[in-house]
This record gives sequence, C-alpha cells and structure tokens, in this order.
Amino acid sequence: MAVALQILASGFAAGAVYGLVAVGHSVVFRLTGVVHFAFGELIALGVFVTLFVAAGSGPVSQTSVGGLRFVGALVVGLLVTAAAGAGSYFLAIEPYRRRGSVIGWVGASLAVAFAVRTLLVVFFDRPAYVFPDPLPFGVWRIGDVTIQERSLFVAGAALALAAAAAALLSRTRTGRALEAIAQDFDAAVLVGLPVARLVGGAFAAAGAWAGLAAILAAPSAAFDVDAAARYGLYGLAAAVVVWFDPRRALAAGLALGLIQATVTSAHAGGTQLGPAYRDAVPLALALAVLAWRARATQELVE
Amino acid sequence: MTTLPALAAAAREARAAWSTRSTLAVAAFALAGFVPLLTGDARTAELADGLYLACAAVGLAFTVGIAGLPSLAQGAFVAVGAVVGARLLELGAPTAVAALAGAAAGAAAGAIVGGGFARLPRAGFAAATWIFAWLVSLALQSLTWLLGGAEGTVVTAGPTPAGHYELALGLTAAAALAYLALARSTFGLRLAAARDREAAANELGVPVHRLRTVAVAASGAAAGVAGALAVALAGVADPTRYGPYLSFKLFVVVLIGGAAAPLGAAAGVVVLGVLSVAADAVGRLEHVAAARSHALLAAVMLLGVVSLGWEGLVRPARRPRRTTAGPGPAPGAPGRLAARSLAKRYGELVAADGVSLEIVPGTLTALVGPNGSGKTTLLRMLAGRIRPDAGSIVREGGVARTLQATAVFPTLTPLEHLLAASASRRRRGGLFRALLATPQARAEDAAFAAWARGVLVRFGVDPDTPAGELPVSDQRVLMLAAAYATGAAVLLVDEPAAGSSAAERRRLAGLLRGLADEGLALLVVEHDLALVRSVADRIVALDAGRVVT
Repeated sequence: MAVALQILASGFAAGAVYGLVAVGHSVVFRLTGVVHFAFGELIALGVFVTLFVAAGSGPVSQTSVGGLRFVGALVVGLLVTAAAGAGSYFLAIEPYRRRGSVIGWVGASLAVAFAVRTLLVVFFDRPAYVFPDPLPFGVWRIGDVTIQERSLFVAGAALALAAAAAALLSRTRTGRALEAIAQDFDAAVLVGLPVARLVGGAFAAAGAWAGLAAILAAPSAAFDVDAAARYGLYGLAAAVVVWFDPRRALAAGLALGLIQATVTSAHAGGTQLGPAYRDAVPLALALAVLAWRARATQELVE
Repeated sequence: MTTLPALAAAAREARAAWSTRSTLAVAAFALAGFVPLLTGDARTAELADGLYLACAAVGLAFTVGIAGLPSLAQGAFVAVGAVVGARLLELGAPTAVAALAGAAAGAAAGAIVGGGFARLPRAGFAAATWIFAWLVSLALQSLTWLLGGAEGTVVTAGPTPAGHYELALGLTAAAALAYLALARSTFGLRLAAARDREAAANELGVPVHRLRTVAVAASGAAAGVAGALAVALAGVADPTRYGPYLSFKLFVVVLIGGAAAPLGAAAGVVVLGVLSVAADAVGRLEHVAAARSHALLAAVMLLGVVSLGWEGLVRPARRPRRTTAGPGPAPGAPGRLAARSLAKRYGELVAADGVSLEIVPGTLTALVGPNGSGKTTLLRMLAGRIRPDAGSIVREGGVARTLQATAVFPTLTPLEHLLAASASRRRRGGLFRALLATPQARAEDAAFAAWARGVLVRFGVDPDTPAGELPVSDQRVLMLAAAYATGAAVLLVDEPAAGSSAAERRRLAGLLRGLADEGLALLVVEHDLALVRSVADRIVALDAGRVVT
C-alpha cells in the first residue's frame, strides 16, 4: 500500500511537469499549427539564464542567492525565454511557414533547439546544477510515503495556465484571430490579420511559458540540459497523444508520469522492469496509443 | 536473344536522358573513387564513415523529398541496422550478411513507423518520428542487453578502410540511382501527388498510406545497411552514437542539400563536412578549446544556413519522357453505382434522408440543389469517403471523384497527373520493376506516356507545363482528365464549372458529354442550370437531404 502510494506521489510530481509542458505544446500548436521542437531547450535556457543572473556561472546552492536578486533573475529569465521564443519564430520558422513548407519549419525549429542546447552546454559545462527554490515547499509524510508539496503546486499552476489559455482563445479577439491563423494560414493573411505579429507574440508567450515551467520544475531535482530536453520530449509525447487538446494535455502528462513511476518500481512475476525501462516503456506506450488513434483519422483527411 | 536489343534500347534511352548534370555526377563519383590512394587509413575511415552517413541521408530523401514527409526517425533506423549488424558480426557472420540483415531490420522498423504514423498530418508525423528517435536512443543507452550499454559491442574487423570507402561510395551512388528511378516511376508520381494534395490523390484512388509506408521502409533499408556497415568499419557499436542528434543531422543534411534531387542529400553531407572543417579553423584562430568551439560554431552556422528560408542546394531537373506507341491501359469495363435509402446526419443537421439514386453507363446524371442541400455529402458517401448512417451502396467498376475546389498537384505536369492516375492499370508497374527499370516496365512507361499525351490532346491541356502554372479552367479540365485516366467506370464530378466563363462552360459541356457517350457513368454536381440542361440525360434535385424530383 505504502509502495503504491509512493509510486502515485512521485509519478504525480513528474507528471505534473510533463502536463505543464504538454499544455504549452498544445497551445502553441493550436495557435500556430507548428510543433515547437525547441520547447525543452527553452526550458533549459530559462533555468540557466536565471541561474546566471542570480549567481554568475559559479556553483550555486540554496543559501548563496539573495532574495531580491533572485526575483530579478527570474524576471530576466522569463524575458529572455520570451525573446528567444519570438526570435526563433521570426528568424527560423516564419520564412518556411510563409511558403507552406512543413519540411522547412520542422528542420528550422530543430536547428533552434540544437543551437540553444549547444550554447548552454558550452557556457554551463558543469554536469548538473541545483536550482534554488523561489518558493520553499516542504514535503508531507504520511507513514513511509513522502509527497512533495511542489508537485501539487505545479499541477495547480498547469491547470490554471490551461484554463487561462482556453479563456484567451475563446473569449478574446486576439485568441480567435490566432485560431483562425492556425486553421488556415493563407486565408488569415488574405483577410488582413497581422499574422506575423500575432504568431510572433504567441511564440513569445510560449517562450515565457517554458521559462515558467523551468522555474516551477527545476528545483525538484539536479538540473541539466538533458533533463530539460526530456521534459520537452515527454510534454510533446503527452500533447500529441491527445492531439494537442489543451484541456486533456495535463491529464496525459500525469498519466505518463504515473506510468513512468510504475515502471521504475515494477515487479512483474519474476522479472523486474526497473529504472532501465523508465523511458522506453512510457514513450513506446505513447507511440502505440498515437498509432492506434491515427487509424481513425482516415475519414477526417479532406 | 531479346537481351541484346533490350540493352541497346536502354543505352539509347540513357543517352537521350543524359545531361551535363549526369556527366558531373558520374565524374564526381569516379574521382571520389580514387581518394583512398591519396589519404592515409585513418582519414579514409573517417571519409568512409561520412559516406555511410550520406547513404542514409540519400535514403531519407525518399521519405522527405518524394513523399514529402518530415521524418525525424532516420537516425533511429541507422541504430536498428547497427544493433542487428553488430549482433551478427559478433557471432562471426560475414560483413555482407550483416549488411543485408541491417537493411532488412531498418526496412522493418521503417514499415512499422510508416504504417503507424503516415496517416497523421505532417506535423504529427514529425512529432511521432521525433519521439521514436528518442525512444530508440534512450533504449540503447539504458537497456544493456541491446548493445552492451556504455561499453558498446566490439566486433571483429571486416574489410579495410579503403574497402569500406569504396563500398560506401557505391552504396551512396546506388541510393541516388534508386531515388532517380523511384521519383520518375508511378510510385514516386503518386507519392508526389499525395504530397501536393492528399485529398485529391485519395479521390483518384491513390493508396496514399500504403505508398508512404513503403517509402519510409525504403528509407529505413538505406539507413539500416549504412548503420550495420558503419559498425563493421568502426569495429565497435557505441550506443551513444545514435542520439536524436543523428536523426536531426540527417534531416538537416537533406534540407540543406535539397530534398527534391537525388544527390541533394549527398551535397548536404559535403556542406556539413565543410562547416565542420570551417568551425575547426575558426576555433584554432580564436584559441578556444577545440571541442567547445566546434560544436558551438557548427550549431550557429547550421542555424544560419537553415534559417532565412533556405530551399536546398541542388534543384531537381525535369527530364523528358519517352513515348512510343504500344498497348496502353486496357479499356475499363462499364460499371454502375446504385445507392438505396442513404441517410446521414451531422448532429441536428440532416445531410441525407432516404436518398436513392442509380447511375448507369452511358448517361450523365446531374445533381442540382441549393447550397447546403447535401450534394457534397452525398458525393462523399457515394465515393466511399464517409460512411452513411443507414442505407446501402453498390459500386461496380470503380469510382473516381474530382473535388469542388480546383485541386491539381501543382508541382506535377499534366502528363504526370495522368501517369499517376492510371498507375493502378499497369501490368508491370511494381516497385521492383521500377527500381530495376526492366525492359518491359520501360516499354509500358513509354506506351502509357503516349496514351496519356493523346488523352491530354483530347481534353485540350498542355502536357508539359507544371499544373500550378496552368490557367484555372485548364486545371479543372485536367482533374477531369485525371479522373478519366484512372479507368473508373463511374465519375463523380463536383461543380466543374464554378466561376468559369461561357466559352469554358461550352468546352466542359462538350467534354462531359463525350465521356458519357464513351460509356462512362457520370454524376455531375452543378449550379448552372443552362449547362445542366444542355448535357444531362437526367436531373436529380436535392433539397434538405431529400430527392425532390
């Protein structure tokens, strides 16, 4: 029982972050029709810029960062990720988007991802960093089970952001204009919507979202670029399984987290799955579900 | 003794299709073959490794260039080939066996990925293949039983570096030739049609999903053979070599070099190599630690090349097609379409309510009715595109449908439209015949091309202008010609005259009447009652989902 509860708790903690990123992926896709392959790298950018402003590139610990400077660093981190989001759109994605070249924007957004990744690896060359916690959360202990309060906060934040995005989309003029663009890019240009400004804005918001995800997620464990890329990947897997539906993306992320936690400590009969399968099984399951769902899209193609 | 004339014919054809570009490509490959004489073993091995990458990249161009699918799984297919190759080499299998098994494993992985995800919209296909690339990479690193974990799998050395180099060069050339053969074949034309406009390709009876699956599997085979041989070259299979970065690199190489030309991907590998050398040089100038600066500069240069909407280094060449009189497609048997009591609702909206309709050979039935009366829904049900809620449909002799909007395949010529549409009527149009360009397959190609030119003369469309550049009225007529070329006995034509002039309407009326007189069964949705009265044998009026006359 305690084991099951502990799986639930740790799965929930990871899944909340996946869900948060999945909501971000879904909103970007709904608004722009583009899959943001650099999302995970933007998360890493947010974390490292914040670290850099707060403490330079030296070693960081929970005590070495002052309060006010850290708040300033968080703001800078958000601004930089927003700028990087918008910049990557205008520099790399938009030129292909305008021509309707899917092949082009896929390559360009991946190129952005790897450029950001390489930049970070070169300048922050320590193996892993500890991100100071802006909001000190404790843990609950129920018997042998520990539950990070942070994970509840992350899930709550993901829910709130998803709700805010849904409201923005359906209630405001900007939101409706963005959905129109996502559905028919050329027609939106023809009717005179300021497409570049709106989509650029959406990418800036996505960057800020990634920065926010970084701040929420990073303090829970030692952090490096790979960890961030993995958040981006799991978020994408969760989002694509529910076909970028922002309302169900959080649930899909939580499900992936729970599957991962289960696999990590699973004993099936005599064989142990264990930590070696913690990535392979959830990703393979996500792909299997996606392939199964893809069979049904046949009627929709027209 | 039919071999000799056949060989002579093949030589004549090759000569007719020869261009400066072909000379340059052959000269480049011939010169490249001598490189190992000039370089030491270590450098030759490095170059051979680059050539295996080029082979995988040219293979990826099948999927990216011909089928237009953004596949990010090519690195994973390389990895699959490497695992199978390494295991076999470890057991003492000869290099050739390992290479073939690697190709088979790569093809199988490609078939699974293509079969699973090629139905998704392109953005979804990119996402799914990206997740697959990560899955394979993470599995190789954490599951030690696959490739030995961090230590990798050590295999005994096979051929010398120079041997590997020549083998890799030959494989790259073979992959480029395969690209050329595939792109020109009906297989490639139909994939290109689906790439340009999937919905219209579906209506012409193109088996889009199956062809795309085959294209991804073919890419996987090229990747798998490269992966297995690269392991034999290195003498070790290192799981960390197959990260998602490899898939990204292969994709970007195709993008830089140009996905639409057979050697575009190979040119992209050269560009990547030059970037890497340049990054090293700049790094030395700046006295920065080499590894750091190299990665950073390469990433920045790559971003520079990819951004700004780069369209690829090598552009495709359009080459003429040989036409000779010969047995074209066999005439289709007459057929009919009978629908009984069809019903379809979308929520509150009744799109069809007890519609019965029969379309018989040699007649033109017009379907008229106000907007929203259910005409297009009925057409979609008759074509089998959507399933009715109730009622039954009997189809005899095949059904083809043209779409409401002008829906040509803009990058294909009208001739290619007709060749793609008539592909299912080939007797010798299989993939392997196309790859090997057998004499029978080439004779059939020429005969079909001659027949298609004849059809286009009848429809009055210029055969060799890319369809996207044709006047709109010609585009409509072209899709009618393509539907005719499928050999279907029943044609469903959706608003062929919308927005056209009086002269164009007369031309259309004449063509439609001619098709019906030839024995086809036509159902034409049209608003223009004057046009309808002048050609239709029967008029069916639809209102609120019900037949009113």
